[in-house]
Amino acid sequence: MATVASPEAARRVQRLERVWRERPGLLGWLTTCDHKRIGILYLFTSLAFFAAGGVEALLVRTQLIRPDNGLLGPEKFDQMMTTHGVTMIFLFVIPISIGAFGNYLVPLMIGSRDMAFPRMNALSYWLFLASGIFIYTGLFLGHGPNAGWFDYVPLGSKQYDPGPNVDFYALGLIFNGVSSTAAAINFIVTIFKLRAPGMSLNRMPLFCYAFLAVSFALIFALPPLNVALGFLELDRRLGFHFFDVAHGGDALMWQHLFWIFGHPEVYIIILPAFGIATSIIPTFTRRKMVAFPLVALAEILVAFIGFGVWVHHMFATGLSSITLVYFAAASLIIVVPSGIQLFAWITTLNTGRPEFKTPLLFICGFIIFFLLGGLSGVMFAAIPFDQQLTDTYFVVAHFHFVIFGAAVFPILGGLYYWFPKVTGRMYHERTGQLSFWLAFTGTALTFFPMHIVGLLGMPRRVYTYPGGMGWSDYNLLESIGAYVLASGLFLIVANLLVSAFRGVRVGPDPWGGATLEWATSSPPPDYNFPVIPKVTSAYAMWDREDREEDARKLTRGDLVLERGHETPASTVLDADWDEILEMPSDSPWPITLAAAAAGVFAFLLLGHWLVAGVFGGLCLAVLAAWHRQEPQLA
Amino acid sequence: MTDTTRTAAASRRSLPNGVWGIALFIATEATLFGSLIASYFYLRFKHAGWPLGGIEPPKPALPLAITGALVLAIVPMFLASAAARRGSVGATARFVIAALVVQAGYLVVQIVLFADDLSKFKPTTNAYGSVYFTLLGVDHFHVLIGILLSLWLLSRLATGLTNYRVVATRVISWYWYFASTVAVAVTLTQLSSSL
Repeated sequence: MATVASPEAARRVQRLERVWRERPGLLGWLTTCDHKRIGILYLFTSLAFFAAGGVEALLVRTQLIRPDNGLLGPEKFDQMMTTHGVTMIFLFVIPISIGAFGNYLVPLMIGSRDMAFPRMNALSYWLFLASGIFIYTGLFLGHGPNAGWFDYVPLGSKQYDPGPNVDFYALGLIFNGVSSTAAAINFIVTIFKLRAPGMSLNRMPLFCYAFLAVSFALIFALPPLNVALGFLELDRRLGFHFFDVAHGGDALMWQHLFWIFGHPEVYIIILPAFGIATSIIPTFTRRKMVAFPLVALAEILVAFIGFGVWVHHMFATGLSSITLVYFAAASLIIVVPSGIQLFAWITTLNTGRPEFKTPLLFICGFIIFFLLGGLSGVMFAAIPFDQQLTDTYFVVAHFHFVIFGAAVFPILGGLYYWFPKVTGRMYHERTGQLSFWLAFTGTALTFFPMHIVGLLGMPRRVYTYPGGMGWSDYNLLESIGAYVLASGLFLIVANLLVSAFRGVRVGPDPWGGATLEWATSSPPPDYNFPVIPKVTSAYAMWDREDREEDARKLTRGDLVLERGHETPASTVLDADWDEILEMPSDSPWPITLAAAAAGVFAFLLLGHWLVAGVFGGLCLAVLAAWHRQEPQLA
Repeated sequence: MTDTTRTAAASRRSLPNGVWGIALFIATEATLFGSLIASYFYLRFKHAGWPLGGIEPPKPALPLAITGALVLAIVPMFLASAAARRGSVGATARFVIAALVVQAGYLVVQIVLFADDLSKFKPTTNAYGSVYFTLLGVDHFHVLIGILLSLWLLSRLATGLTNYRVVATRVISWYWYFASTVAVAVTLTQLSSSL
């Protein structure tokens, strides 16, 4: 904390520091349950997977740079393309947004000292890491997932894909899903129960609304995927017949189950980006978000309606017209809440005094790409249009504008925006702006021509194409764009890495931000806040009197909770003071449990059912040991 | 139970975090069962005749009776939860054991029925066999997990009641409310071809 007014306050802060001190060294990182450290672990791990997914994308684009290219054969191309998709969705975007941004920021924004279940939070991270290693083990052994990220059967069934490639995919994603489910439950309980007294739901930052919506979407979206993956593995490994038409199964059932998960997944990917946008825009326009309640509702509505549109991925599968029309209508309706948010962002920018620093530039890029990707999305709701262009590069163009341009740009902007908070140093602004323009140009250059080659009929997921089709120049442009984009991303990493050591030191609140993470020092202390902050609006940092009151509370010892590893819990709607929770500190059990779970999945893959069962028993033993330690107060 | 924990439990106005956690876990698990049951009916309505391949429909009497018993075991679990909140460790343990006897009995009979079904047809016979055994297997697995949770709870209750264990009793009761209710849905799905 920047200012400690009195000797009593100083004594209290010292005591907090003693109680909350994290274990140093490697062991500290392996056993940590601190949400900020877990957030940082998530950040570096997901960035490593981003790099891997990026290399795969570059290989794919290099293969397609000219007709009849022989850099990657069809076999390698399929693995690169599939692993690129799986990595970017499951190992990069979701972990970086929910795991890194969510973990680091949500407790800070709601004025809490940790997540509701800190040890489960650590478990989520270690499970995620293990699942990523699991999937990549397949790739390094030459058996990477190879039937596309949506792995349609019968292509993904044993008969047509006899190697272990799809087993790495299916088991790896079930493994990954456990991690995401645990994280989602943790976020909901944290947001519902650990908000600082006074932060009623209508005073909660929009960022947290986005994370609440995402977490609920994850809880309901992942089970259908897990059922589909379970069926697939039973078919492939034990000879069941869920998707086998010859024995009464149904191949389309895979598509239904997959897309019941898969479309909400699109919103799971993009909602955190909305949350980041609604944090950055008010800060750099010096005004509150326009239509706060509407934007909050829209964030939740998008997640909700996202569950009712999955068949628009299946317009070309021969379903009945009435089904198609229903889902086309539902797909059009989802435009409404998305539009509300878009207009709210634009109006806030328009009526504020925007200062185009790097984070806001990325948000502007996001708005442009979201508009373009959204518009091509609306076009797909028109059934004949979809049937004409399905499985062409037009689809690839659409969803990359949405999930790269719209979902990843705010993540990149967010990296810049919260960099001073996490490191206590400022990045280099000029280099930051240059990196934006490189990334923006690269993205447009890579993905815009795909619309045209799609309209010209180039199918997606092909490893090469003949010359003379009129596709070659566009493909060359796209591949050049991919390298421009990569150079922009590289510049971001370089800027942040160098600035982490050489950047100018900054105080708690270099931007004049609106939310509570800016109330504490940069980087925040282990206990987050010396005193649980007072909250009377959704823009807590702009309520100067409340922050002055915090300093007085510290002197009085009011809501400092320095006697133990404690944080307050409040009621769900009104955030009235409810009880004091004793939070667990570091624990060896989460990482041990994740290792045992990795054993289960590894031996399931190898087909040693008994050994997998032994590891399952080991998981139970670890859980029993985990729960021997009870909070002291109890 | 110490006075401080009694006050904590009494003055708390919203559900404890643990109960929120299990409620959300139930939400995701219910969706899992929803997907499984939906898959069963999706496959069922793809075919004119069901069960496929001349497999005999299951006999309803015994599965219905034992599922009824499993649902009734909710009552002692509810009472256990209430007793824990009153601070009575003996009553809590007795109610958990009473429920456990029924739940374990249910699982034993279900395993016998499962083995009996397996002697008639296999999951590899056709899609009906696949979805039938998978649905039942997943359901029985959930009952098994519940039994392990109850056993764990009893081992903790053996050394007295703490605030943490009061919440644990509540959480495990909620798990049983779910596992018992979902067993009804699964059983009705299983028996839909003979009802």
